[in-house]
Amino acid sequence: MFYLIGLGLGDATDITVKGLEIVKRAKRVYLEAYTSILTEEYYGRELILADRDMVETQADELLMDAENEDIVFLVVGDPFGATTHTDLVLRAVDKDIKYKVVHNASIMNAVGCCGLQLYHFGETVSIVFWTESWRPDSFYDKIKVNREKGMHTLCLLDIKVKEQTIENMMKGKKIFEPPRYMSVNQAAEQLVEIVQNKRQSGETPSFTEETVIGADTQQIVAATLQEMTSVDLGGPLHSLVVPGHMHPLEMDMLRLFANSQHVYTSYEITSKHRDHLNM
Amino acid sequence: MVHFTIDQIRAIMDKKHNIRNMSVIAHVDHGKSTLTDSLVSKAGIIASSRAGETRFTDTRKDEQERCITIKSTAISLFYELNKEDLQYITQEKDKENSNEFLINLIDSPGHVDFSSEVTAALRVTDGALVVVDCVSGVCVQTETVLRQAITERIKPVLFMNKMDLALLTLQIEKEPLYQTFQRIIENINVIIATYGSEDDPMGKIDIFDTCMNDSKENALALVEKMGVKLTPEEKDKETKQLLKTVMRKWLPAGDAMLQMIVIHLPSPVTAQRYRMELLYEGPHDDDAALGIKNCDPKAVLMMYISKMVPTSDKGRFYAFGRVFSGTISTGLKCRIMGPNYVPNKKEDLYEKSIQRTILMMGRYTEPIEDVPCGNICGLVGVDQFLVKTGTISTYKDAHNLKVMKFSVSPVVRVAVECKNPSDLPKLVEGLKRLAKSDPMVQCCIEESGEHVVAGAGELHLEICLKDLEEDHACIPLKKSDPVVTYRETVRDESDRMCLSKSPNKHNRLFMKARNLHEDLAPAIDNGDVSPKQEFKERARLLADKFDIDATEARKIWCFGPEGTGPNLLIDVTKGVQYLNEIKDSCTAGFQWATKEGVLCEENVRGVRFDIHDVTLHADAIHRGGGQIIPTMRRCLYACMLTADPTLMEPIYRVEIVAPEAAVGGIFSCLNKKRGEVFSNNQLGFTGDLRSCTGGQAFPQCVFDHWKPVGGDVFTAGSKPAQIVADIRKRKGLKEGIPALDNYLDKL
Repeated sequence: MFYLIGLGLGDATDITVKGLEIVKRAKRVYLEAYTSILTEEYYGRELILADRDMVETQADELLMDAENEDIVFLVVGDPFGATTHTDLVLRAVDKDIKYKVVHNASIMNAVGCCGLQLYHFGETVSIVFWTESWRPDSFYDKIKVNREKGMHTLCLLDIKVKEQTIENMMKGKKIFEPPRYMSVNQAAEQLVEIVQNKRQSGETPSFTEETVIGADTQQIVAATLQEMTSVDLGGPLHSLVVPGHMHPLEMDMLRLFANSQHVYTSYEITSKHRDHLNM
Repeated sequence: MVHFTIDQIRAIMDKKHNIRNMSVIAHVDHGKSTLTDSLVSKAGIIASSRAGETRFTDTRKDEQERCITIKSTAISLFYELNKEDLQYITQEKDKENSNEFLINLIDSPGHVDFSSEVTAALRVTDGALVVVDCVSGVCVQTETVLRQAITERIKPVLFMNKMDLALLTLQIEKEPLYQTFQRIIENINVIIATYGSEDDPMGKIDIFDTCMNDSKENALALVEKMGVKLTPEEKDKETKQLLKTVMRKWLPAGDAMLQMIVIHLPSPVTAQRYRMELLYEGPHDDDAALGIKNCDPKAVLMMYISKMVPTSDKGRFYAFGRVFSGTISTGLKCRIMGPNYVPNKKEDLYEKSIQRTILMMGRYTEPIEDVPCGNICGLVGVDQFLVKTGTISTYKDAHNLKVMKFSVSPVVRVAVECKNPSDLPKLVEGLKRLAKSDPMVQCCIEESGEHVVAGAGELHLEICLKDLEEDHACIPLKKSDPVVTYRETVRDESDRMCLSKSPNKHNRLFMKARNLHEDLAPAIDNGDVSPKQEFKERARLLADKFDIDATEARKIWCFGPEGTGPNLLIDVTKGVQYLNEIKDSCTAGFQWATKEGVLCEENVRGVRFDIHDVTLHADAIHRGGGQIIPTMRRCLYACMLTADPTLMEPIYRVEIVAPEAAVGGIFSCLNKKRGEVFSNNQLGFTGDLRSCTGGQAFPQCVFDHWKPVGGDVFTAGSKPAQIVADIRKRKGLKEGIPALDNYLDKL
């Protein structure tokens, strides 16, 4: 049996009881090590680190003997959350290997903690690190579409682990760049730049002074895009939310996390307005 | 010889209308250096302090031994034109009507292996003296150098040499001699008509045959006179001498030539006006462009460094070049821009002060305070920042002056290693110096750790290696047999749609390869079709001449390898969303795959790759470079393997000059090679030929074109398969061409 087990968002102890039991009795346990910064944690047994290269190109080795033995593949978050492991499942099915999934929390659902309703989220986007010559801004278009429909947008921020430079890739050298994780500050900076570019090209940007919410698992901050470029949210693995049309209750919740008086009052006015209506 | 102080020379430099920068170009052995010698003895400038020292044009020892020029040498001449002759100058003249002229002359090598030196010389000059041996007429190299001159918009004038040989040794009659001259002039005119286009300023140039015409008539007249004089004597030697004396009195070659140079060749003022647009990469109306156009010494500085000249101080070089705009002076703070500099970026850019400005006169140098535009000079200290060539400017927004385009490419390679392993650092340092000292040679480190030196031909390589061993590294070297580089190509269209999936399986590329029109790769090589062209104009050209569909021709993503090579990546997709976001990664993968082809990691040539369809992951993070670049490469490899791939080998045209007696030996030698001199056995051909003819035949191999090797590369024992196997072995690659399923994925 091939198990895909979610590890949740926090630390190693977030694993479910069911998951932990399977881990303890499995023959081999792989830990996916490219979308998370969870280091080798021990559940009382040996873990095999599986980097991107291994998952993507040596899947056969990973699935070896899974017909008869229990093989576990640990995924941070939910196995079918932000990162997709459908290819592994397809390969397993191809080899007549049975598989089971143990779910866990993912940023896709945990984002609800900021008070925005999950029902109101539109398409999720990733904001990638820009390079000198590669500055994609397609995520902006998606945020725009979401907002036009009044939907919130969850922005996942880029993670670069075990990335090779083109030179090293050409020479086939397995030298990897130091890992990088995008912070909300960088994400906000890139968004600000896109917004400015759009304005220059005569297009009315779909969000300017609006609030965005930055969060890591410990901390949630609601701030304007400009403020977000300098907010300190601590260590890596951040996410960013661009809210769409908000329900009064969502606003009440966001006020808890307001970064500045300005942001706070921008919600308050509307909630007073609600009070009027109630009167 | 005229003796001047540096101050006097400096004073002439300011009269920009009275400067002539020219190079002497010709086929090998047509007498350039000898001619230059006579000019120097007539009008050479030496600073008074240097007067009386050894010969001025004295150059390298091996040059004298072999009797060929290897490096180009610059010298300055001074000429006073007769006042009444000033009226013949049709271009803009000096206001004070000064009749003193400064001629900067560069003597260049004639052998094809060193034609990179010619290119470097042409770049810094405005006119060219084309020397033609009137007995052998227009030869291969004459044509090549003339073509180069015309593409650089260098005004050529013709000079016919070795008249005495024609008249005396060969005893040619008046009439045939006249016809020979006429033929030469016609040939030259044909070349100019072929390579110069109508609207081009060069197109309207008539060959100035004043000197030639004069000498022809005079010579014929002379012969008649001589005919009477000679009968009683009948001794050849004396005849020759006598003729020489008479000729010299009748028509002093030096004077006639200098006169011709001054009257007909353009001054920097005239020349830079029409050369600017060819020279400058930036907008044609910025400060730098205007400075060049007007040859304004007060404008921003623009100087092009065309080569590095070794100094007496080992390991250091003078940067030799031409000031096109502004004035360069000792201590001036400049921007030193290498060939890879892109405006507003930091790469390949240094801001440094010029240590010293010097005047280069043959071997000698004289420090000089400053040099105004239109002149040629040397710089000290710049060599640390530039490898071979570059642009020096004081203008913040300056673009580069265009990089020189060489007519030959380094196709012959040899691996070197030091006999004593502890000498390795010296070898590495030596290779660096060698790379600097020669405009063409390439030194690189192979994957296997071998140090490889690549040159234009056997002779070029031989000289480079000798320099490396004796001057640059100063250690004993082991050299491998020279090897020829090949190209990989395809002969057909891919027999199926090739699909490759990215490692995460979310991105899929659908592509096909096809061979390009056979004339297109050469057209890209010589710049007729280039990535810098305006794309609509290029598309029209490609559609008209090279059978590429007009709409597809507008969608060329890039050229490769190195962004300029003779392969195309074309987007023929219809409505793929976010395709532009992966363009960069696709381009990188394309550059990679065309640099190291699938057969044996040689460059790819003459192939177009069409992107037919692309499936992408919805999210940008899952379609980054790490996913797309390797996939692109695999897909391109699959495309090539399914499109009847083969190798291309360089074919040389061989010109053999030999006395009649040696013809038999030449034929037997050629027969041994089956009349075809292939790249493989071209090496060593020179040696064979010499031994067959007792050293009388002098062959010159000129790279002509690339030709696909016939036969199926996948059939064991076929010719291309054999070559591929050899190259893979030499490079230490896995045996056998990689199988298709390494690269092709199933849907």
